[in-house]
Amino acid sequence: MKNYQTKTCCVVLMLFCLSFTVFGVCNQTTSSQSERDLWNQHACWQDFFLWQFRAYDVREGNWNNRGYFDACNVNLEYPKHWNAAYLITYKLNDNNDQSWHGTIDYRAAAEAAGGNFHNHIFHLAIDDTSVFGRFTPPDQVKTSCLLYDNNTAGANNNPASRAGDFIHEGWHAWNARWGYNGGGGSCGHFNGPNGACSMSPCGCDYFYFHPVSVYVFGAMWENNGTASRFHSPTQVQVEFLCDVADQSTAPASVKVGARSDANARSAARFINGPGYRCGDPRPW
Amino acid sequence: MSKNTNPAGQQLLLVIVSLVSLFLVTGCPGRGTNTTPEPTPSANGPTAKEAPGPAPSAILAGRTLHSPPGLTAKGEDAAKAVAAFIDWAGASLPEEQEDGRKALVAARDNADIVKAFTQEIANAQRSDHSRALLALALLGEMKSPAAEEFLRSFVNQPFPESGTRTEEGEILEQTALATLQAKAIDGLAYLHSKSADEEVLSQVQRHPSIIVRSEAISAYLWNQTNKDVGRRTLSQFVRKDEQRYLDQITRQAGERAASFNPKLEAYLKAHPEVIAPAPEGQRQDYGKPDQTTNPGAPPKF
Repeated sequence: MKNYQTKTCCVVLMLFCLSFTVFGVCNQTTSSQSERDLWNQHACWQDFFLWQFRAYDVREGNWNNRGYFDACNVNLEYPKHWNAAYLITYKLNDNNDQSWHGTIDYRAAAEAAGGNFHNHIFHLAIDDTSVFGRFTPPDQVKTSCLLYDNNTAGANNNPASRAGDFIHEGWHAWNARWGYNGGGGSCGHFNGPNGACSMSPCGCDYFYFHPVSVYVFGAMWENNGTASRFHSPTQVQVEFLCDVADQSTAPASVKVGARSDANARSAARFINGPGYRCGDPRPW
Repeated sequence: MSKNTNPAGQQLLLVIVSLVSLFLVTGCPGRGTNTTPEPTPSANGPTAKEAPGPAPSAILAGRTLHSPPGLTAKGEDAAKAVAAFIDWAGASLPEEQEDGRKALVAARDNADIVKAFTQEIANAQRSDHSRALLALALLGEMKSPAAEEFLRSFVNQPFPESGTRTEEGEILEQTALATLQAKAIDGLAYLHSKSADEEVLSQVQRHPSIIVRSEAISAYLWNQTNKDVGRRTLSQFVRKDEQRYLDQITRQAGERAASFNPKLEAYLKAHPEVIAPAPEGQRQDYGKPDQTTNPGAPPKF
């Protein structure tokens, strides 16, 4: 009898520990409506994720317990990661007379390859829920459970917010590439609250207002050392989200979420804010 | 040596060996660590358990457009109709937006449909933020007087003072509720009844979140026929240090540079204080040869 109890104990312990291996720490049991709505537009396009893991330098060693080997399961982290990459890669309208920037810009900020936008980066998933994402120099772009779990308390576990964070963290790498310190605060931004930015103790950026069409597509990386040609990480995130909301063929649930995220950030995260407002306030 | 010598010790040893092995293999206790060991680039790509399907272009081509589910059901059937409508609306494409709007307006006087939307919102608020946001948008678009009480109650849900805090200081529960309440504000302002407008103005002044106050300013003004009068009214409620939000620069969906750019120029002229200082740091090109293999263009859509 005792032997039976011991074996049972071992099996329970094994299952307990394996549960962290299979499911990671993020909860990977559900996905949001906007996740599924975007997903259903491609129904797990395998050619794309076989390109995406190279384009984003997604490494098996970090993602193998997060859906790397079950890449068509929309509840898991890696499928959600490439679903967000799909949004960036295919869904923007690229209207030079209306969009802030083009697919070529947002892709270059988010993807791994080095160049004018940043030196080489690679994408990791982390379980640290004190951040949405983090750029760890010289080359790590990390995104956390807060962008993947559908049952966390937050509003950001959707493909638009996740894609926006890829670009935000990629822009910290842009700062590093071009010698800017991003504000010198404790989290790669300015400390706050500061001006119209209500974040505390950090997370504040400046908004470098620019007209539509002054950056040709592919030129978002350009800077001249002054405020006249420059972007902050939260600004490129807002501009991307706004382009998803107003200048994309994404499903409506993705666009509604993108607009909400853009306007929330515009209202609360800029020292000289508010930044641009994205679209009119008609409910739908 | 007997097999049964000191069985208790054997069992203890078995447990210890199992635990050590599992911890080594699975990294079981490694929760929440900031230190991420650097994995090596993958030679083998991800795999799926399913067989490859068609390309997205084929999926989209096979989709039936412009056919939203009806919102004419009554009684218990209303809940199913609303659930199906939200599913459709979430997946709908930009060219279908007007189809959805027409269906919503047509159901404006159907109290059962309005009630079913409120129940969907209440359920989704606990389980799926994106669905709750979408359902609030749809309810607001109905412009139904029957929705006003719910929307008013929603924007007055107690605002959490604490919760899951990020290192930047954002409290997730606050942002989640504020973004939903901002959408409820859009619905109240769009309804544009005297009482709904009063609620919006009240939130301009007293809501604890700038996300909601900012939305209330924009939504109130946008829904006023006489913008000058609306602006004068609003300015009595906007907090002193938030007057700039009255002029927030908006890029409308589909707006061209020729329309937007003069607005931006006027805004910067009226508010020179928003022009950012020079960025911190010394511009330098730290470019180095890129060691990575670019996989080339993504697959054809």
